[in-house]
Amino acid sequence: MGQTPVVEFLQVQLLINQQQILTGLNFAIEPGQFVALLGPNGAGKTSLLRLLQKEYQPSSGQIKLQGQPISTFSQSELAAKVALVSQLSGPLFDLTVADVVLMGLIPHKALWQTNTEQDLQQLKQSLELVGLANKERHSFAHLSGGEQQRVLLARAVMQKPLLLLLDEPTNHLDLYYQHQVLRIAKALNITVIASIHDLNLASRYGDRLLLLNQGQLVADGTAEQVLTQELLTEVFRIPCLIDQNPFGDCPRVSFGYKDSV
Amino acid sequence: MSKVLLAALPVPLRLLLAMVVLILVCLLALSTGSVPISMAGLFGLAPLDEMQSTVLWQLRFPRLLLSLLAGSGLALCGALLQNASRNPLADPYLFGIVSGAALGATIATIVVPEWQLLTPLFAFFGALLAVFLVLIIGASSRWQRLESLLLCGVAVSFMLSAITTTLLYLSEPFAANRVMFWLMGSLSQASLTHVALISPLVFITLLLGLLYRRQLDALVLSDESARSLGVNVQPLRLIILLLCAAVSAAIVACCGGIAFVGLMIPHLVRSLFGLSSVALLLGSVWLGAVFLVGVDTLSRSVLPDQELPIGVVTSAIGSLFFLSMLFKYRRG
Repeated sequence: MGQTPVVEFLQVQLLINQQQILTGLNFAIEPGQFVALLGPNGAGKTSLLRLLQKEYQPSSGQIKLQGQPISTFSQSELAAKVALVSQLSGPLFDLTVADVVLMGLIPHKALWQTNTEQDLQQLKQSLELVGLANKERHSFAHLSGGEQQRVLLARAVMQKPLLLLLDEPTNHLDLYYQHQVLRIAKALNITVIASIHDLNLASRYGDRLLLLNQGQLVADGTAEQVLTQELLTEVFRIPCLIDQNPFGDCPRVSFGYKDSV
Repeated sequence: MSKVLLAALPVPLRLLLAMVVLILVCLLALSTGSVPISMAGLFGLAPLDEMQSTVLWQLRFPRLLLSLLAGSGLALCGALLQNASRNPLADPYLFGIVSGAALGATIATIVVPEWQLLTPLFAFFGALLAVFLVLIIGASSRWQRLESLLLCGVAVSFMLSAITTTLLYLSEPFAANRVMFWLMGSLSQASLTHVALISPLVFITLLLGLLYRRQLDALVLSDESARSLGVNVQPLRLIILLLCAAVSAAIVACCGGIAFVGLMIPHLVRSLFGLSSVALLLGSVWLGAVFLVGVDTLSRSVLPDQELPIGVVTSAIGSLFFLSMLFKYRRG
Protein backbone atom coordinates (compact mmCIF):
# COMPACT_ATOMS: atom_id res chain seq x y z
CA MET A 1 0.00 0.00 0.00
CA GLY A 2 2.48 2.63 1.17
CA GLN A 3 -0.20 5.36 1.27
CA THR A 4 -0.72 7.34 4.45
CA PRO A 5 -3.97 6.17 6.02
CA VAL A 6 -6.68 8.85 6.13
CA VAL A 7 -7.55 7.96 9.69
CA GLU A 8 -5.57 6.08 12.31
CA PHE A 9 -6.78 5.13 15.77
CA LEU A 10 -3.89 4.19 18.06
CA GLN A 11 -4.97 2.53 21.33
CA VAL A 12 -7.80 5.03 21.70
CA GLN A 13 -9.79 5.05 24.89
CA LEU A 14 -12.67 7.37 25.76
CA LEU A 15 -14.03 7.90 29.24
CA ILE A 16 -16.98 10.18 29.93
CA ASN A 17 -17.78 10.80 33.60
CA GLN A 18 -15.53 7.87 34.52
CA GLN A 19 -17.59 5.63 32.27
CA GLN A 20 -15.82 3.57 29.68
CA ILE A 21 -17.33 4.54 26.32
CA LEU A 22 -14.67 3.29 23.92
CA THR A 23 -11.62 1.20 24.68
CA GLY A 24 -8.57 -0.20 22.93
CA LEU A 25 -9.50 1.05 19.46
CA ASN A 26 -6.78 0.29 16.97
CA PHE A 27 -7.36 0.57 13.25
CA ALA A 28 -6.35 2.50 10.14
CA ILE A 29 -8.55 3.49 7.24
CA GLU A 30 -7.09 3.70 3.75
CA PRO A 31 -8.04 6.43 1.26
CA GLY A 32 -11.24 5.78 -0.67
CA GLN A 33 -12.65 3.13 1.64
CA PHE A 34 -16.35 3.17 2.44
CA VAL A 35 -16.42 2.05 6.06
CA ALA A 36 -19.67 1.03 7.73
CA LEU A 37 -19.72 1.38 11.49
CA LEU A 38 -22.03 -1.16 13.09
CA GLY A 39 -23.19 -2.04 16.56
CA PRO A 40 -26.19 -2.02 18.87
CA ASN A 41 -27.37 1.15 20.63
CA GLY A 42 -24.75 2.39 23.08
CA ALA A 43 -21.94 0.48 21.38
CA GLY A 44 -20.05 3.75 20.83
CA LYS A 45 -20.65 4.47 17.12
CA THR A 46 -21.65 8.07 17.57
CA SER A 47 -18.89 8.65 20.15
CA LEU A 48 -16.35 7.37 17.65
CA LEU A 49 -17.61 9.85 15.04
CA ARG A 50 -17.51 12.63 17.64
CA LEU A 51 -13.86 11.86 18.32
CA LEU A 52 -13.21 12.52 14.64
CA GLN A 53 -15.02 15.85 14.99
CA LYS A 54 -12.97 16.78 18.05
CA GLU A 55 -16.20 17.10 20.03
CA TYR A 56 -14.63 14.59 22.40
CA GLN A 57 -10.94 14.19 23.16
CA PRO A 58 -9.58 10.67 23.64
CA SER A 59 -8.80 9.92 27.30
CA SER A 60 -5.74 8.03 26.15
CA GLY A 61 -4.21 6.99 22.85
CA GLN A 62 -4.03 9.05 19.69
CA ILE A 63 -6.07 9.74 16.58
CA LYS A 64 -4.28 10.75 13.42
CA LEU A 65 -5.71 12.38 10.34
CA GLN A 66 -3.48 11.96 7.29
CA GLY A 67 -0.64 11.07 9.61
CA GLN A 68 -1.01 14.16 11.78
CA PRO A 69 -2.42 14.09 15.33
CA ILE A 70 -6.00 15.35 15.12
CA SER A 71 -5.40 17.48 18.23
CA THR A 72 -3.12 19.76 16.19
CA PHE A 73 -5.95 20.78 13.84
CA SER A 74 -8.01 23.88 14.62
CA GLN A 75 -11.80 23.58 14.32
CA SER A 76 -11.73 25.26 10.95
CA GLU A 77 -8.71 23.32 9.62
CA LEU A 78 -10.53 20.16 10.61
CA ALA A 79 -13.70 21.31 8.84
CA ALA A 80 -11.71 21.73 5.63
CA LYS A 81 -10.85 18.01 5.78
CA VAL A 82 -13.75 16.31 7.56
CA ALA A 83 -17.43 16.81 6.73
CA LEU A 84 -20.38 15.51 8.72
CA VAL A 85 -23.91 14.62 7.68
CA SER A 86 -26.01 13.86 10.72
CA GLN A 87 -29.68 13.54 11.46
CA LEU A 88 -31.54 16.80 11.64
CA SER A 89 -34.44 17.76 13.75
CA GLY A 90 -36.50 20.16 11.66
CA PRO A 91 -34.84 23.57 11.54
CA LEU A 92 -36.73 26.34 13.30
CA PHE A 93 -36.11 29.11 10.82
CA ASP A 94 -36.28 28.30 7.18
CA LEU A 95 -33.37 28.68 4.80
CA THR A 96 -33.18 28.09 1.07
CA VAL A 97 -31.46 25.01 -0.30
CA ALA A 98 -28.73 27.27 -1.70
CA ASP A 99 -28.12 28.84 1.74
CA VAL A 100 -27.61 25.41 3.26
CA VAL A 101 -25.34 24.07 0.53
CA LEU A 102 -23.23 27.23 0.43
CA MET A 103 -22.47 26.76 4.14
CA GLY A 104 -20.04 24.15 2.90
CA LEU A 105 -17.77 27.03 1.86
CA ILE A 106 -17.31 28.22 5.45
CA PRO A 107 -14.00 26.39 6.05
CA HIS A 108 -12.60 27.62 2.74
CA LYS A 109 -13.60 31.29 2.81
CA ALA A 110 -12.35 34.30 4.74
CA LEU A 111 -15.12 36.32 6.37
CA TRP A 112 -15.08 39.11 3.80
CA GLN A 113 -14.94 36.89 0.71
CA THR A 114 -18.11 36.77 -1.33
CA ASN A 115 -19.35 33.85 -3.41
CA THR A 116 -17.70 33.71 -6.81
CA GLU A 117 -19.15 32.56 -10.10
CA GLN A 118 -17.16 29.37 -9.60
CA ASP A 119 -18.76 28.78 -6.20
CA LEU A 120 -22.22 29.10 -7.70
CA GLN A 121 -21.22 26.72 -10.48
CA GLN A 122 -20.07 24.28 -7.84
CA LEU A 123 -23.36 24.74 -6.00
CA LYS A 124 -25.21 23.68 -9.14
CA GLN A 125 -22.94 20.69 -9.64
CA SER A 126 -23.30 19.52 -6.05
CA LEU A 127 -27.07 19.70 -6.28
CA GLU A 128 -27.06 17.85 -9.60
CA LEU A 129 -24.93 15.17 -8.03
CA VAL A 130 -27.53 14.50 -5.34
CA GLY A 131 -30.41 14.67 -7.82
CA LEU A 132 -31.75 18.05 -6.72
CA ALA A 133 -30.85 20.16 -9.76
CA ASN A 134 -32.68 23.50 -9.98
CA LYS A 135 -33.89 23.38 -6.40
CA GLU A 136 -31.59 26.17 -5.17
CA ARG A 137 -34.41 28.56 -4.32
CA HIS A 138 -36.58 25.94 -2.64
CA SER A 139 -37.22 26.12 1.06
CA PHE A 140 -35.08 23.65 2.98
CA ALA A 141 -37.66 23.08 5.73
CA HIS A 142 -40.36 22.13 3.25
CA LEU A 143 -38.33 19.35 1.63
CA SER A 144 -38.94 15.73 2.57
CA GLY A 145 -36.54 14.06 5.00
CA GLY A 146 -34.76 12.27 2.15
CA GLU A 147 -34.33 15.49 0.20
CA GLN A 148 -33.02 17.32 3.26
CA GLN A 149 -30.50 14.57 3.82
CA ARG A 150 -29.37 14.86 0.20
CA VAL A 151 -29.05 18.66 0.54
CA LEU A 152 -26.75 18.04 3.51
CA LEU A 153 -24.79 15.61 1.36
CA ALA A 154 -24.48 18.33 -1.29
CA ARG A 155 -23.22 20.66 1.43
CA ALA A 156 -20.64 18.07 2.44
CA VAL A 157 -19.55 17.81 -1.22
CA MET A 158 -19.17 21.60 -1.30
CA GLN A 159 -16.91 21.28 1.74
CA LYS A 160 -14.49 19.21 -0.41
CA PRO A 161 -13.58 16.92 2.45
CA LEU A 162 -11.00 14.24 2.62
CA LEU A 163 -13.21 12.25 4.94
CA LEU A 164 -16.99 12.18 5.06
CA LEU A 165 -18.73 11.13 8.27
CA LEU A 166 -22.32 9.96 8.05
CA ASP A 167 -24.10 9.62 11.39
CA GLU A 168 -27.01 7.24 10.82
CA PRO A 169 -27.80 8.89 7.51
CA THR A 170 -30.63 6.52 6.64
CA ASN A 171 -32.71 6.91 9.80
CA HIS A 172 -36.27 8.10 9.16
CA LEU A 173 -35.83 7.63 5.42
CA ASP A 174 -37.97 5.32 3.33
CA LEU A 175 -36.37 2.43 1.48
CA TYR A 176 -35.83 4.34 -1.72
CA TYR A 177 -33.95 7.19 -0.05
CA GLN A 178 -31.97 4.86 2.20
CA HIS A 179 -30.38 3.41 -0.91
CA GLN A 180 -30.18 6.75 -2.73
CA VAL A 181 -28.25 8.47 0.06
CA LEU A 182 -25.73 5.66 0.36
CA ARG A 183 -25.34 5.29 -3.41
CA ILE A 184 -24.57 8.99 -3.73
CA ALA A 185 -22.11 8.87 -0.83
CA LYS A 186 -20.41 5.87 -2.38
CA ALA A 187 -20.21 7.52 -5.79
CA LEU A 188 -18.26 10.45 -4.32
CA ASN A 189 -15.17 8.25 -4.25
CA ILE A 190 -13.84 9.73 -1.03
CA THR A 191 -13.19 8.06 2.30
CA VAL A 192 -16.48 7.61 4.14
CA ILE A 193 -17.23 6.42 7.66
CA ALA A 194 -20.95 5.79 8.07
CA SER A 195 -22.68 4.56 11.20
CA ILE A 196 -25.51 2.38 9.98
CA HIS A 197 -28.12 0.36 11.87
CA ASP A 198 -29.29 -1.68 8.91
CA LEU A 199 -26.78 -4.51 8.47
CA ASN A 200 -27.99 -5.28 4.96
CA LEU A 201 -27.32 -1.72 3.81
CA ALA A 202 -23.89 -1.98 5.41
CA SER A 203 -23.31 -5.27 3.67
CA ARG A 204 -24.37 -3.87 0.30
CA TYR A 205 -22.41 -0.58 0.41
CA GLY A 206 -19.55 -1.01 2.87
CA ASP A 207 -16.09 -1.90 1.55
CA ARG A 208 -15.19 -2.59 5.10
CA LEU A 209 -17.28 -3.11 8.22
CA LEU A 210 -16.33 -2.23 11.79
CA LEU A 211 -18.49 -3.89 14.42
CA LEU A 212 -18.52 -2.25 17.84
CA ASN A 213 -19.90 -3.80 21.00
CA GLN A 214 -19.75 -2.16 24.42
CA GLY A 215 -17.05 0.23 23.28
CA GLN A 216 -14.81 -2.42 21.79
CA LEU A 217 -14.04 -3.27 18.20
CA VAL A 218 -15.17 -6.89 17.96
CA ALA A 219 -14.83 -7.38 14.21
CA ASP A 220 -13.15 -5.56 11.36
CA GLY A 221 -13.18 -6.70 7.74
CA THR A 222 -15.31 -7.30 4.67
CA ALA A 223 -19.01 -8.06 4.94
CA GLU A 224 -18.29 -11.79 4.58
CA GLN A 225 -15.77 -11.64 7.42
CA VAL A 226 -17.83 -9.54 9.84
CA LEU A 227 -21.41 -10.65 9.23
CA THR A 228 -21.25 -14.12 10.72
CA GLN A 229 -24.05 -15.90 12.46
CA GLU A 230 -22.29 -16.50 15.80
CA LEU A 231 -20.94 -12.98 16.10
CA LEU A 232 -24.16 -11.18 15.19
CA THR A 233 -26.29 -13.40 17.41
CA GLU A 234 -24.00 -12.63 20.31
CA VAL A 235 -23.70 -8.88 19.70
CA PHE A 236 -27.31 -8.12 18.83
CA ARG A 237 -28.79 -10.81 21.14
CA ILE A 238 -31.25 -12.01 18.53
CA PRO A 239 -31.07 -15.26 16.57
CA CYS A 240 -29.82 -14.57 13.08
CA LEU A 241 -29.37 -16.29 9.75
CA ILE A 242 -27.00 -15.39 6.93
CA ASP A 243 -27.52 -16.18 3.26
CA GLN A 244 -26.66 -14.59 -0.06
CA ASN A 245 -28.24 -11.29 -1.12
CA PRO A 246 -29.90 -12.09 -4.45
CA PHE A 247 -29.11 -8.58 -5.75
CA GLY A 248 -25.40 -8.74 -5.31
CA ASP A 249 -22.38 -10.49 -4.18
CA CYS A 250 -22.83 -9.84 -0.49
CA PRO A 251 -24.25 -11.55 2.57
CA ARG A 252 -27.84 -10.99 3.64
CA VAL A 253 -28.74 -10.97 7.31
CA SER A 254 -32.14 -11.94 8.71
CA PHE A 255 -32.99 -11.57 12.37
CA GLY A 256 -35.93 -13.00 14.23
CA TYR A 257 -37.48 -15.71 16.31
CA LYS A 258 -39.08 -18.75 14.77
CA ASP A 259 -42.07 -18.81 17.06
CA SER A 260 -44.75 -16.18 16.57
CA VAL A 261 -45.75 -14.17 19.64
CA MET B 1 -48.71 36.79 -1.06
CA SER B 2 -46.52 39.76 -0.13
CA LYS B 3 -43.51 37.46 -0.13
CA VAL B 4 -44.27 36.28 -3.64
CA LEU B 5 -44.68 39.84 -4.89
CA LEU B 6 -41.48 41.12 -3.29
CA ALA B 7 -39.47 38.09 -4.29
CA ALA B 8 -40.58 38.56 -7.89
CA LEU B 9 -38.93 41.98 -7.99
CA PRO B 10 -35.27 42.11 -8.99
CA VAL B 11 -32.89 42.99 -6.16
CA PRO B 12 -31.98 46.54 -7.31
CA LEU B 13 -35.65 47.41 -7.63
CA ARG B 14 -36.33 46.03 -4.16
CA LEU B 15 -33.51 48.13 -2.71
CA LEU B 16 -34.79 51.18 -4.53
CA LEU B 17 -38.29 50.59 -3.20
CA ALA B 18 -36.90 50.19 0.32
CA MET B 19 -34.96 53.45 0.04
CA VAL B 20 -38.01 55.33 -1.27
CA VAL B 21 -40.16 54.08 1.61
CA LEU B 22 -37.48 55.04 4.14
CA ILE B 23 -37.06 58.54 2.69
CA LEU B 24 -40.82 59.12 2.58
CA VAL B 25 -41.22 58.10 6.23
CA CYS B 26 -38.33 60.36 7.23
CA LEU B 27 -39.81 63.35 5.36
CA LEU B 28 -43.16 62.70 6.99
CA ALA B 29 -41.50 62.58 10.41
CA LEU B 30 -39.69 65.86 9.82
CA SER B 31 -42.77 67.70 8.61
CA THR B 32 -45.35 66.37 11.09
CA GLY B 33 -45.93 67.74 14.59
CA SER B 34 -47.32 70.63 16.58
CA VAL B 35 -45.32 73.00 14.37
CA PRO B 36 -46.03 71.79 10.82
CA ILE B 37 -43.30 72.25 8.24
CA SER B 38 -44.15 71.98 4.54
CA MET B 39 -42.28 69.71 2.16
CA ALA B 40 -41.17 72.80 0.28
CA GLY B 41 -39.76 74.12 3.53
CA LEU B 42 -37.87 70.88 4.13
CA PHE B 43 -36.26 71.08 0.72
CA GLY B 44 -35.35 74.75 1.18
CA LEU B 45 -37.80 75.84 -1.51
CA ALA B 46 -39.88 77.87 0.92
CA PRO B 47 -38.51 80.03 3.73
CA LEU B 48 -38.78 78.72 7.30
CA ASP B 49 -39.51 81.08 10.16
CA GLU B 50 -37.25 81.05 13.19
CA MET B 51 -39.53 78.75 15.18
CA GLN B 52 -39.75 76.23 12.36
CA SER B 53 -36.01 76.31 11.82
CA THR B 54 -35.31 75.71 15.54
CA VAL B 55 -37.87 72.89 15.73
CA LEU B 56 -36.49 71.28 12.60
CA TRP B 57 -32.80 71.38 13.46
CA GLN B 58 -32.80 71.28 17.27
CA LEU B 59 -35.66 68.85 17.86
CA ARG B 60 -36.89 66.87 14.89
CA PHE B 61 -33.63 66.17 13.17
CA PRO B 62 -31.80 64.60 16.19
CA ARG B 63 -35.03 62.82 17.06
CA LEU B 64 -35.29 61.40 13.55
CA LEU B 65 -31.68 60.16 13.67
CA LEU B 66 -32.21 58.62 17.10
CA SER B 67 -35.41 56.84 16.07
CA LEU B 68 -33.71 55.53 12.91
CA LEU B 69 -30.85 54.18 14.99
CA ALA B 70 -32.94 52.84 17.86
CA GLY B 71 -35.32 51.08 15.49
CA SER B 72 -32.58 49.48 13.42
CA GLY B 73 -30.51 48.64 16.50
CA LEU B 74 -33.33 46.89 18.37
CA ALA B 75 -34.47 44.97 15.28
CA LEU B 76 -30.88 43.99 14.45
CA CYS B 77 -30.30 42.68 17.98
CA GLY B 78 -33.57 40.77 17.87
CA ALA B 79 -32.63 39.13 14.57
CA LEU B 80 -29.12 38.22 15.77
CA LEU B 81 -30.30 36.86 19.12
CA GLN B 82 -33.12 34.85 17.56
CA ASN B 83 -30.80 33.18 15.07
CA ALA B 84 -27.94 32.69 17.51
CA SER B 85 -30.20 31.16 20.14
CA ARG B 86 -32.50 29.41 17.64
CA ASN B 87 -35.39 30.84 19.62
CA PRO B 88 -38.05 32.82 17.78
CA LEU B 89 -39.00 34.60 21.00
CA ALA B 90 -35.52 35.81 21.86
CA ASP B 91 -35.08 39.55 21.96
CA PRO B 92 -32.86 41.96 23.87
CA TYR B 93 -35.42 42.10 26.67
CA LEU B 94 -35.28 38.40 27.36
CA PHE B 95 -31.76 38.70 28.74
CA GLY B 96 -32.75 41.09 31.52
CA ILE B 97 -31.44 44.13 29.70
CA VAL B 98 -34.49 46.30 30.34
CA SER B 99 -34.94 45.31 33.96
CA GLY B 100 -31.25 46.05 34.49
CA ALA B 101 -31.65 49.45 32.86
CA ALA B 102 -34.74 50.11 34.98
CA LEU B 103 -32.83 49.29 38.15
CA GLY B 104 -30.01 51.61 37.08
CA ALA B 105 -32.49 54.40 36.33
CA THR B 106 -34.26 53.82 39.65
CA ILE B 107 -31.04 54.02 41.61
CA ALA B 108 -30.09 57.21 39.77
CA THR B 109 -33.50 58.77 40.45
CA ILE B 110 -33.80 57.77 44.10
CA VAL B 111 -30.32 57.55 45.48
CA VAL B 112 -28.67 60.42 43.65
CA PRO B 113 -31.56 62.63 42.46
CA GLU B 114 -29.16 65.56 42.09
CA TRP B 115 -27.48 63.63 39.23
CA GLN B 116 -30.57 63.62 37.01
CA LEU B 117 -28.48 63.93 33.87
CA LEU B 118 -26.68 60.72 34.66
CA THR B 119 -29.83 58.56 34.51
CA PRO B 120 -28.95 57.17 31.04
CA LEU B 121 -25.47 56.28 32.24
CA PHE B 122 -26.85 54.45 35.28
CA ALA B 123 -29.37 52.71 33.03
CA PHE B 124 -26.60 51.66 30.68
CA PHE B 125 -24.54 50.10 33.44
CA GLY B 126 -27.65 48.51 34.95
CA ALA B 127 -28.33 46.80 31.62
CA LEU B 128 -24.74 45.61 31.33
CA LEU B 129 -24.91 44.34 34.92
CA ALA B 130 -27.94 42.26 33.99
CA VAL B 131 -26.17 40.67 31.04
CA PHE B 132 -23.07 39.89 33.09
CA LEU B 133 -25.24 38.32 35.78
CA VAL B 134 -26.90 36.17 33.11
CA LEU B 135 -23.52 35.12 31.74
CA ILE B 136 -21.97 34.42 35.15
CA ILE B 137 -24.91 32.39 36.43
CA GLY B 138 -25.19 30.72 33.04
CA ALA B 139 -21.47 29.89 33.01
CA SER B 140 -21.67 28.16 36.35
CA SER B 141 -24.59 26.03 35.19
CA ARG B 142 -23.29 24.60 31.93
CA TRP B 143 -23.98 27.72 29.90
CA GLN B 144 -23.22 25.79 26.76
CA ARG B 145 -26.86 24.88 26.86
CA LEU B 146 -29.06 27.44 25.22
CA GLU B 147 -32.10 26.82 27.35
CA SER B 148 -30.20 27.43 30.56
CA LEU B 149 -28.97 30.76 29.22
CA LEU B 150 -32.51 31.85 28.39
CA LEU B 151 -33.79 30.68 31.77
CA CYS B 152 -31.01 32.67 33.45
CA GLY B 153 -32.20 35.72 31.50
CA VAL B 154 -35.73 35.29 32.79
CA ALA B 155 -34.53 34.70 36.37
CA VAL B 156 -32.20 37.72 36.39
CA SER B 157 -34.97 39.80 34.85
CA PHE B 158 -37.38 38.97 37.67
CA MET B 159 -34.74 39.39 40.36
CA LEU B 160 -33.76 42.87 39.18
CA SER B 161 -37.41 43.88 38.75
CA ALA B 162 -38.07 42.80 42.33
CA ILE B 163 -35.23 45.00 43.58
CA THR B 164 -36.48 47.91 41.45
CA THR B 165 -40.03 47.53 42.75
CA THR B 166 -38.81 47.38 46.36
CA LEU B 167 -36.75 50.54 45.90
CA LEU B 168 -39.69 52.34 44.31
CA TYR B 169 -42.05 51.13 47.04
CA LEU B 170 -39.76 52.54 49.71
CA SER B 171 -39.17 55.83 47.90
CA GLU B 172 -41.28 58.93 47.46
CA PRO B 173 -44.12 58.74 44.90
CA PHE B 174 -42.62 61.46 42.72
CA ALA B 175 -39.50 59.40 42.07
CA ALA B 176 -41.63 56.37 41.23
CA ASN B 177 -43.52 58.48 38.72
CA ARG B 178 -40.36 59.61 37.01
CA VAL B 179 -39.06 56.07 36.67
CA MET B 180 -42.42 54.91 35.34
CA PHE B 181 -42.40 57.59 32.67
CA TRP B 182 -38.85 56.78 31.74
CA LEU B 183 -39.74 53.11 31.37
CA MET B 184 -42.57 53.88 28.98
CA GLY B 185 -39.98 55.02 26.50
CA SER B 186 -39.58 58.33 24.77
CA LEU B 187 -37.47 59.87 22.07
CA SER B 188 -38.18 63.39 23.24
CA GLN B 189 -34.79 63.79 24.91
CA ALA B 190 -33.01 62.98 21.65
CA SER B 191 -29.71 64.74 21.08
CA LEU B 192 -26.78 64.31 18.76
CA THR B 193 -24.78 63.00 21.75
CA HIS B 194 -27.19 60.06 21.93
CA VAL B 195 -26.79 59.52 18.21
CA ALA B 196 -23.02 59.58 18.53
CA LEU B 197 -23.16 57.05 21.35
CA ILE B 198 -25.44 54.54 19.64
CA SER B 199 -24.39 54.75 16.00
CA PRO B 200 -20.92 53.16 16.29
CA LEU B 201 -22.37 50.29 18.31
CA VAL B 202 -25.12 49.60 15.77
CA PHE B 203 -22.69 49.94 12.89
CA ILE B 204 -20.12 47.53 14.37
CA THR B 205 -22.81 44.99 15.23
CA LEU B 206 -24.23 45.11 11.71
CA LEU B 207 -20.79 44.82 10.15
CA LEU B 208 -19.86 41.80 12.26
CA GLY B 209 -23.24 40.24 11.59
CA LEU B 210 -22.68 40.59 7.84
CA LEU B 211 -19.11 39.27 8.03
CA TYR B 212 -20.26 36.23 9.96
CA ARG B 213 -23.33 35.70 7.74
CA ARG B 214 -22.43 32.13 6.74
CA GLN B 215 -21.61 31.18 10.32
CA LEU B 216 -24.93 32.62 11.49
CA ASP B 217 -26.77 30.64 8.83
CA ALA B 218 -24.99 27.51 10.00
CA LEU B 219 -26.04 28.15 13.61
CA VAL B 220 -29.67 28.12 12.52
CA LEU B 221 -29.48 24.40 11.64
CA SER B 222 -27.80 23.04 14.76
CA ASP B 223 -24.73 23.54 16.94
CA GLU B 224 -23.32 20.21 15.84
CA SER B 225 -23.76 21.05 12.19
CA ALA B 226 -22.16 24.48 12.67
CA ARG B 227 -19.20 22.99 14.52
CA SER B 228 -18.67 20.44 11.77
CA LEU B 229 -18.27 23.38 9.40
CA GLY B 230 -15.53 24.86 11.57
CA VAL B 231 -17.65 27.46 13.36
CA ASN B 232 -16.50 28.22 16.91
CA VAL B 233 -20.03 28.09 18.23
CA GLN B 234 -19.68 29.25 21.85
CA PRO B 235 -17.31 32.20 21.25
CA LEU B 236 -19.48 33.39 18.35
CA ARG B 237 -22.61 33.20 20.48
CA LEU B 238 -20.90 35.03 23.35
CA ILE B 239 -19.73 37.85 21.05
CA ILE B 240 -23.23 38.24 19.61
CA LEU B 241 -24.75 38.32 23.07
CA LEU B 242 -22.28 40.94 24.34
CA LEU B 243 -22.66 43.17 21.27
CA CYS B 244 -26.45 42.99 21.40
CA ALA B 245 -26.29 43.75 25.12
CA ALA B 246 -24.20 46.85 24.48
CA VAL B 247 -26.43 48.05 21.63
CA SER B 248 -29.70 47.52 23.45
CA ALA B 249 -28.32 48.87 26.73
CA ALA B 250 -27.31 52.06 24.94
CA ILE B 251 -30.70 52.33 23.24
CA VAL B 252 -32.66 51.65 26.42
CA ALA B 253 -30.49 54.14 28.30
CA CYS B 254 -31.25 56.89 25.75
CA CYS B 255 -34.86 56.08 24.92
CA GLY B 256 -36.25 54.06 27.83
CA GLY B 257 -38.21 50.87 27.27
CA ILE B 258 -39.31 50.34 23.67
CA ALA B 259 -40.71 46.84 23.65
CA PHE B 260 -41.58 44.45 20.84
CA VAL B 261 -39.45 46.02 18.09
CA GLY B 262 -36.66 43.43 18.49
CA LEU B 263 -39.18 40.63 18.69
CA MET B 264 -41.60 41.63 15.94
CA ILE B 265 -39.49 43.17 13.16
CA PRO B 266 -37.31 40.07 12.43
CA HIS B 267 -40.48 37.97 12.14
CA LEU B 268 -41.91 40.38 9.59
CA VAL B 269 -38.61 40.51 7.72
CA ARG B 270 -38.44 36.74 7.48
CA SER B 271 -41.83 36.60 5.86
CA LEU B 272 -41.04 39.51 3.53
CA PHE B 273 -37.45 38.95 2.43
CA GLY B 274 -36.50 35.40 3.32
CA LEU B 275 -34.26 33.94 5.91
CA SER B 276 -30.63 33.96 4.98
CA SER B 277 -28.64 36.12 7.39
CA VAL B 278 -27.83 38.89 4.92
CA ALA B 279 -31.47 39.42 3.97
CA LEU B 280 -32.53 39.12 7.60
CA LEU B 281 -29.98 41.57 9.01
CA LEU B 282 -30.27 44.24 6.31
CA GLY B 283 -34.05 43.84 6.19
CA SER B 284 -34.30 44.19 9.97
CA VAL B 285 -32.16 47.32 9.97
CA TRP B 286 -34.36 48.84 7.28
CA LEU B 287 -37.76 47.81 8.63
CA GLY B 288 -36.80 48.59 12.24
CA ALA B 289 -35.85 52.11 11.19
CA VAL B 290 -39.00 52.63 9.09
CA PHE B 291 -41.18 51.21 11.86
CA LEU B 292 -39.81 53.28 14.72
CA VAL B 293 -39.74 56.54 12.75
CA GLY B 294 -43.34 55.88 11.72
CA VAL B 295 -44.45 54.99 15.23
CA ASP B 296 -42.71 58.01 16.71
CA THR B 297 -44.44 60.28 14.20
CA LEU B 298 -47.73 58.64 15.09
CA SER B 299 -47.20 58.97 18.84
CA ARG B 300 -46.41 62.66 18.40
CA SER B 301 -49.49 63.39 16.35
CA VAL B 302 -52.47 61.29 17.54
CA LEU B 303 -53.22 63.34 20.67
CA PRO B 304 -53.48 67.11 20.30
CA ASP B 305 -50.77 68.91 22.31
CA GLN B 306 -49.55 65.71 23.89
CA GLU B 307 -47.24 62.84 23.12
CA LEU B 308 -48.06 59.21 23.68
CA PRO B 309 -45.12 57.31 25.17
CA ILE B 310 -43.58 55.44 22.24
CA GLY B 311 -43.14 52.24 24.26
CA VAL B 312 -46.91 52.14 24.79
CA VAL B 313 -47.54 52.41 21.04
CA THR B 314 -44.97 49.75 20.09
CA SER B 315 -46.38 47.39 22.75
CA ALA B 316 -49.91 47.90 21.47
CA ILE B 317 -48.89 47.29 17.85
CA GLY B 318 -46.71 44.35 18.90
CA SER B 319 -49.49 42.59 20.76
CA LEU B 320 -51.88 43.07 17.85
CA PHE B 321 -49.19 41.73 15.51
CA PHE B 322 -48.72 38.56 17.53
CA LEU B 323 -52.45 38.02 17.84
CA SER B 324 -52.79 38.30 14.07
CA MET B 325 -49.97 35.76 13.66
CA LEU B 326 -51.78 33.43 16.01
CA PHE B 327 -54.95 33.62 13.95
CA LYS B 328 -52.98 33.16 10.75
CA TYR B 329 -51.43 29.96 12.13
CA ARG B 330 -54.83 28.74 13.25
CA ARG B 331 -56.30 29.23 9.83
CA GLY B 332 -53.39 27.98 7.87
